[in-house]
Amino acid sequence: MAIETARIILFAAGAYLTIGVVVAAVFVIAGVDSIDHAAKGSPWSFRLLISPGAAALWPVILRRWIDAARKPHR
Amino acid sequence: MSVGYTWVQWNRHKRVYDAVMVAGAAAYIAAFVVVSRATWTADHALSDEILLLRALGSCAIVLLHLILCIGPLARLDARFLPLLYNRRHLGVMTFLIALTHGSLAVGYYHGFGVLNPLVSLLTSNTNFLSLTAFPFQVLGLGALIIMFLMAATSHDFWLRNLSASTWKRLHMLVYPAYVLLVAHVALGALQNGRGPSAWICLGLGVCLVVGLHLGGALRELRRDRGHPVVNPVEDWLDAGPAAGIPANRARTVCTRGGERIAVFRHDGKISAVTNVCAHQGGPLGEGKILDGCITCPWHGWQYRPGDGRSPPPFEEKITTYQVRIIGGRVQVNPRGLPPGTPVQPALCEESPDA
Repeated sequence: MAIETARIILFAAGAYLTIGVVVAAVFVIAGVDSIDHAAKGSPWSFRLLISPGAAALWPVILRRWIDAARKPHR
Repeated sequence: MSVGYTWVQWNRHKRVYDAVMVAGAAAYIAAFVVVSRATWTADHALSDEILLLRALGSCAIVLLHLILCIGPLARLDARFLPLLYNRRHLGVMTFLIALTHGSLAVGYYHGFGVLNPLVSLLTSNTNFLSLTAFPFQVLGLGALIIMFLMAATSHDFWLRNLSASTWKRLHMLVYPAYVLLVAHVALGALQNGRGPSAWICLGLGVCLVVGLHLGGALRELRRDRGHPVVNPVEDWLDAGPAAGIPANRARTVCTRGGERIAVFRHDGKISAVTNVCAHQGGPLGEGKILDGCITCPWHGWQYRPGDGRSPPPFEEKITTYQVRIIGGRVQVNPRGLPPGTPVQPALCEESPDA
């Protein structure tokens, strides 16, 4: 693999993960309760534990979060 | 079961399990270093860094073999079920050991040049068409990424929010990760030229994993056969004699569509529910009735046999089935009812069991 190709791949992966870290940080503070009622009042240790997964799967998380926000409050 | 989340649902059994896991891994790494130092001496001696790298790497792949063997072992012999109970923690620990191995390897072999270590990892060897010079490190990196995804999504929060089927598909990636790691170790052993011992151990491990999976699958196939339809019009399934089902246990029957139904005997009554636990798809028919509830052998999730609902405050529901006893034999309607539907149990003719 050429060095430039490797740099592009790693830059893309880094950018994806940077966005993921930002989304995950906001999500575990303000979003997790809205997509899963069982997370309401959950401890910080739990929120910290799910944050690597939220950073890796941030497109899924973002979509679920937006869907939850669009649903009318019951 | 889902009411509120905690970071780890530890109990006494899980703490003992985890302590044994950590002590076992530490003992393995220490033993690997001691034995390797005694074996490879003088000109063949390995540096401490390489010894530690190999100890961690081999520990991770041994643990992965153990993880992959636990499922079929528990299927073949119920005495292995306690190992299944906390397999997730074993998986996370395996990832952490593999991550340490990978980080040390990248730092040791690629961390002292002018290039970014990861760029160096991806570009320093491009002999993808050569078996003896193949860049096996890339295979390990691929496996590590899969293991990270699995470890990061091992909490029940992910099971619930990714949906059980997506979560299951994601975690079935353990098999591609295993293939990548076997190739990583096999090619690494080929290239370091230190004898066939790693190949022999790896070959034995692969045979064990494949053999146990085949054995477990054959047993499932045999179990699924032999439950004829008793009435072509009604399509009910024969589940065998009611008296043959042990108290507070189940017999599993399979529909023509391949769905498994667990037929439980409890308090002199017979009830049927899906064999698939709502948590991680565990085999409810291999569990037992505890405190009046069907208890999944994998993680202890519970459901009432009469309506397939978890006891309050939990809210999980599973599919229930109609049952009847004719001539002492249990018959099951293979058309499942919506999850949580109450069903009248069939009464056994003989005295109620304990």
